[in-house]
Amino acid sequence: MTEQLTTIGLNHYLTISAFLLGFGLFAVITRKNAIVVLMGVELILNAANINFLAFSKFNGGMEGVMFALFVIVIAAAEAAIALAIVINIYKIFKSVDVSSIDSLKE
Amino acid sequence: MHSLIQLSIVVLLLPLLSFVILIFFNRRLPRRGDFIGVGILGTAFAISAYIFWSVIVQTYDPAFRIAWDFTWIDLGNVPGVGPLQIKMGVVIDNLTSIMLAMVTLISLLVHLYSTGYMAGDKNYGRYFAFLGIFTFSMLGIVLSDNLFSIYIFWELVGLSSYLLIGFFFEKQSAADAQKKAFLANRVGDIGMWLGILILYSQFHTFSFEQIYANLAAGKFGLSNGWLTAAGILLFMGCVGKSAQFPLHVWLPDAMEGPTPVSALIHAATMVAAGVYFVARIFVVLTPDALHVIAFTGACTAFMAATIAITQNDIKRVLAYSTVSQLGYMVLGLGVGAYSAALFHLVTHAFFKACLFLGSGAIIHAMHHEQDMRWMGGLRKHMPWTFATFTLATLALAGLPLTSGFMSKDAILAGAIGFAKTEGGGIFYLIPVLGFFSAMLTAFYMGRQIWLVFFGESRTHLKPAEDDHHAAHHAHAGHDAHTDDHHQEHGVHEVSWNMRAPLVILATLSIFFVYSPDPLDGGKGWFMKMIQTPATVVGEANHQIGDLRTPVSTATLAAAVPNVEVPAAEAGEHAGAEKGAHSYADMRQAEIVHAGHAAHFTAIYISSIMVLLGISLAFIVYVFNIIDPEKTAIAIRPLYLFSLNKWYWDEIYDATFIKGSMLLANILSWFDTTIVDGIVNGVATLVRNFAFLNDGFDRHVVDGLVNFTAFTVNTTGAVLRKLQTGKVQTYVVMLLLAVFGYFVFYLTRLIY
Repeated sequence: MTEQLTTIGLNHYLTISAFLLGFGLFAVITRKNAIVVLMGVELILNAANINFLAFSKFNGGMEGVMFALFVIVIAAAEAAIALAIVINIYKIFKSVDVSSIDSLKE
Repeated sequence: MHSLIQLSIVVLLLPLLSFVILIFFNRRLPRRGDFIGVGILGTAFAISAYIFWSVIVQTYDPAFRIAWDFTWIDLGNVPGVGPLQIKMGVVIDNLTSIMLAMVTLISLLVHLYSTGYMAGDKNYGRYFAFLGIFTFSMLGIVLSDNLFSIYIFWELVGLSSYLLIGFFFEKQSAADAQKKAFLANRVGDIGMWLGILILYSQFHTFSFEQIYANLAAGKFGLSNGWLTAAGILLFMGCVGKSAQFPLHVWLPDAMEGPTPVSALIHAATMVAAGVYFVARIFVVLTPDALHVIAFTGACTAFMAATIAITQNDIKRVLAYSTVSQLGYMVLGLGVGAYSAALFHLVTHAFFKACLFLGSGAIIHAMHHEQDMRWMGGLRKHMPWTFATFTLATLALAGLPLTSGFMSKDAILAGAIGFAKTEGGGIFYLIPVLGFFSAMLTAFYMGRQIWLVFFGESRTHLKPAEDDHHAAHHAHAGHDAHTDDHHQEHGVHEVSWNMRAPLVILATLSIFFVYSPDPLDGGKGWFMKMIQTPATVVGEANHQIGDLRTPVSTATLAAAVPNVEVPAAEAGEHAGAEKGAHSYADMRQAEIVHAGHAAHFTAIYISSIMVLLGISLAFIVYVFNIIDPEKTAIAIRPLYLFSLNKWYWDEIYDATFIKGSMLLANILSWFDTTIVDGIVNGVATLVRNFAFLNDGFDRHVVDGLVNFTAFTVNTTGAVLRKLQTGKVQTYVVMLLLAVFGYFVFYLTRLIY
């Protein structure tokens, strides 16, 4: 138990990652502002990154690191595209409130 | 094909051409195309005259006969009937060529006459078209060589007669008369068709020649009764068409038609078609059938003569006289005086056509006055009509030097011979009725001549109020005659186109046309050319042969001594000696010989009777020794009986017409209550069932459908709520799904 407390183990990483994922999901689901939703998405991606790195560290091998790097790159691209989408949404709906955008219903 | 056959087909088709042209184009032609009708008939008559010349004058052979036929319809092998081929054909023998010339001549004269009589009628063109189709049909009857085609043309003359009787169809009486004629003829025609079918069922052919040959060969498989029945049924066609006793009622009413039509159809040709038909089938008639025919003819001749005495309408007297004369012809055929009957047919056709056309001229001149009581004194105003009418009247009454005398006496001589041969008794009734009718004929014709032509004009005696007369005038449409009808100076002789036919027909009523000896028609060409054909009944047919015990040749020779046997019959006698002959032929020969023997007896009796009749007419109408009106009152029941035509119309009205109405009412009741009841009951049943079905449909079937729709609708409504269109909702659902999957997966993993 002490060992667990003194040494940072895999579980700690995973726990943090789980929390981060939970916060990200929470943000994605509950926030009204599209920017904040995007931020939630970033949190989820980073939670995934933490998992990759954690498993990479404890298992040895570089695959997880590589994956994390790719994720960061994709996240950057995704952010650029998503922000562009948000700007377009704003142009069309004069708002970035995701709860008011329900044209998909039709 | 013989050239005469080709010519006869041309003659047959020419009037049809006239009909087709006139019925379609008469309004576009000048004078409504009457010249086409006259011209075509003139051509037809010229060709017929050539045929007559070639056959009668040049060939001069009693046995002359040429025939040609073709298969008209081949129905193949009809189930239940056997091979059925319907043929059409033409036969030309002496009788045909005489009839051909007679029909076309009278038709031509009537066409010519009608150009005067019918002038100004609004349906002038159609009238000539109808005359054309009539002539076509009549020639068809004359030329037919089989029962089927004769039946077709038979119905066609019925149709054209119907059309022409009702020519003034706006008049109710004309419309009624045409209906009556048509219905009475139907009754006869049904019988005729049944007779044809009896013969067809046995021989499987309609052709006269084949039927005769088969019958002679003994191929008739039924009993004698059937053959007699077939003969009587075929005779029924004649009863209808020739207005014989039970069905005679239509002919006097048919006088509603235009007078030239009465002359052509209801005096000279169509009504004689019945007699012609019986002559054609003469050889298949059994002695029993001939007895029926003889008695029918005798009754008709007598009855019609008694009716004619009291009629006042000039045309009705002639109509009943026609019925009476047709009775003579039928009587003649019935007693076996074959050639005499046909002789009378031809002579009667000419003098009766002359009488009718003469009466038409009188009616025309009197401005459509038909009642003889208001005529009189026309002799001075209409000398041509008077002369021809009188000549024809003498022929009708049967005075010597006329054609009617020869033919009527030949028939009566035959009747006497027949009565002798049959063994007297009731058979003497036939010549007695014949002689008595001859007297009545002389009487009523004398009355007619006197009332119409002699004395003073009685037009002013006519009661002023007469809508009948006005109706006549309105329909005839003679606008030219606007002068006062009751003025005598309006009466004038008719124009040449009406006079010429009278003169020609009157000439043909004189003896020398037919025979060099005014007392004996047997010496003339007609009786020589038309000889009684050998009957085919009985030869080699055991069933028929049993009719009566054969008369031996010795008996025959004893019964009729010193009679010259014509060459044609000598052959038959040779056959009889060999024992091949049965009763019927011997009987025929015997009747013919007895008829020859009775020739002078007949002449004496009938001349006495005719003189009696004429003197009676003189006594009553000229010398006024007997006042006709007082006599009429004295024998009022008899007078009324005759005036009302023996009450035949009333009897038929009370029996057949009322009976038909009663039957119709019963059937109508049956229809409305029972048949309709069944139908309505079924309808109610169906309706109730449909009602049930409707409930089932509405509630169960529709319920299921609606329930399905409802379920889908509800489900849709619920599911629609999930579809918010918001991205976040979908994310939540995604999460829930993943969560659910995990719960499921982990649960399985754990347990």
